[in-house]
Amino acid sequence: MKTELNHSQQTEIQIEKSPSSLSILWREVVKDKLALVSMILLALILLVVYGSAIFLDQEKIVKVDLLSIYAPPSSEHWLGTDYGGRDIFGQLIIGARNSFTIGLAITLISCLIGLIVGLVAGYYGGVIDNIIMRVIDFILVLPFLMLVIVFVAIVPKYNVFTFILIMSAFLWTGKARLIRAKTLAERELDYVSASKTLGTPDWKIISREILPNLSSIIIVNLTLNLAGNIGIESGLSYLGFGLPESTPSLGTLVSYATNPDVLQNKWWVWLPASLLILVMMLCINFIGQALKRAADARQRLG
Amino acid sequence: MEFLKINHLKVYYPIRGGFFRRVNDYVRAVDDISFELRSGETYGLVGESGCGKTTTGRTVIGLIKATAGEILLEGKDIAKLSSREFSRYRRDIQMIFQDPYSSLNPKKRVLDIIAEPLRNFERLSPQEEKRKVQYFVEKVGLHADSIYKYPHEFSGGQRQRIGIARALTLNPKLIIADEPVSALDVSVQAQVLNFMKEIQKEFQLTYLFISHDLGIIRHMCDRIGIMYRGQFVEEGTSEEIFNNPQHIYTKRLISAIPNADPQKRKEQLALRKQVEEEYTNSFHQYFNHDGKAYRLKRISETHSVAIL
Repeated sequence: MKTELNHSQQTEIQIEKSPSSLSILWREVVKDKLALVSMILLALILLVVYGSAIFLDQEKIVKVDLLSIYAPPSSEHWLGTDYGGRDIFGQLIIGARNSFTIGLAITLISCLIGLIVGLVAGYYGGVIDNIIMRVIDFILVLPFLMLVIVFVAIVPKYNVFTFILIMSAFLWTGKARLIRAKTLAERELDYVSASKTLGTPDWKIISREILPNLSSIIIVNLTLNLAGNIGIESGLSYLGFGLPESTPSLGTLVSYATNPDVLQNKWWVWLPASLLILVMMLCINFIGQALKRAADARQRLG
Repeated sequence: MEFLKINHLKVYYPIRGGFFRRVNDYVRAVDDISFELRSGETYGLVGESGCGKTTTGRTVIGLIKATAGEILLEGKDIAKLSSREFSRYRRDIQMIFQDPYSSLNPKKRVLDIIAEPLRNFERLSPQEEKRKVQYFVEKVGLHADSIYKYPHEFSGGQRQRIGIARALTLNPKLIIADEPVSALDVSVQAQVLNFMKEIQKEFQLTYLFISHDLGIIRHMCDRIGIMYRGQFVEEGTSEEIFNNPQHIYTKRLISAIPNADPQKRKEQLALRKQVEEEYTNSFHQYFNHDGKAYRLKRISETHSVAIL
């Protein structure tokens, strides 16, 4: 009986004493009411957007209907129609889905590239680091927006997929820099030397030893970048260099506001999309801030 | 034949500057040292901080590349091997690190930390692996259940024992102990040191023991090398160094050991004054005009000193 008691005590201590980084992140988000509300709101938005997008037919929505141009909100068109008589609500849902998916894909792809490049540059250092960093510096000094516009113009088969690739090709550099800096600090620690003396191959040291110690920073950066990337997509579409009009996007809807008549008299065309962008980016940012605090023990609330 | 022999080992770091970052000069971290370890003994490397003792240890295990010189492990030069060829000798040399806090990965459980070398060199089933890890964990005096805990749940002394268990798993012949107890408090130091002596007998280990604490060196080592600015100034058995120091630097180090007996405070003070006087008066007998030591000269079978 005594041993039983002892055992249960020990497991209790174990659970209490070693909170995983994920549970720390979770606790921080729950502790911060703003982040918690943001998370619930974002989850709701995404659920509605992805859920109802399944039932909507993109072809039907983008079909021009000359009889109902600029119709105000009604029971048939919940948020009215645009200059082509297309349903705004449907475009909003599909546009939000497209914008979010694109933002997420760009974030994940650029994160993956940045992670690999940053880890390699930081871990090996020396000549390899020098070469990689000069390449990154070169990409960083290029005028990003202008080049994206040029690429969009010259790519023959321009669609969502190529758009994601073009964006990712430019956006991995910042991530690579961040990861490299962290890796440089991490590889000087003795546990990396220990792994070397124990005969662990380099790729294993990078992926099993150093990477887990960077996990919280990666999650934080991922979240904050996600908001920015959704914004970039919408911004480019607004300028007319994002997605083609046949693929609804939040940026396209907002860009209708360049017409003064729409901006003044037809609020239903651009206001819902603008609000949705604002709310989504704010939510993601608030969550990101909470995660950022969780990654640094000195700033934690919970 | 000696178990480990080090011949004219040099580790230089270039100082770059000026146009095109040319090499202007070198930091001579380890400057032409030679010594040998016999199987089963404990060899102490002593010296002030920055004298190159840690660099020597890390070069022997291959963490730092030697600029010149030979490291002969059982007659085979391991200094010039590529990292792939070196991996065959990895198993024979292991290291205990100075800082028990940074030398254990905070994201891994004790089981994964201690099993890391096993996973690299041996193919064991999870059951065998766990049994082996538990054996070593109990060997170093920790509870068998602790293999599922994370490093931060242990005290400094316990963490150092985990580090020792990790070094033992491959049955190495040589263990390089780089100031293994300097991050621990005094009561735990003795515990860890005595434990290291025990396992030395049990596993027939050879230690290269690096420390700046002469008390610990005296307790642990059979033979001692005193380092100063990357060179040896004196080498000999423990008794020779402590009872018959020849070099002024050794004398200064030994006179600096604190004496706990308040009755002998005056004697100790007088001794220190005398050594200090000797140091200022006969400086050039021991050091050349650059402040470097001379070449080692053999004065008995086991005792060598760097004097003119």
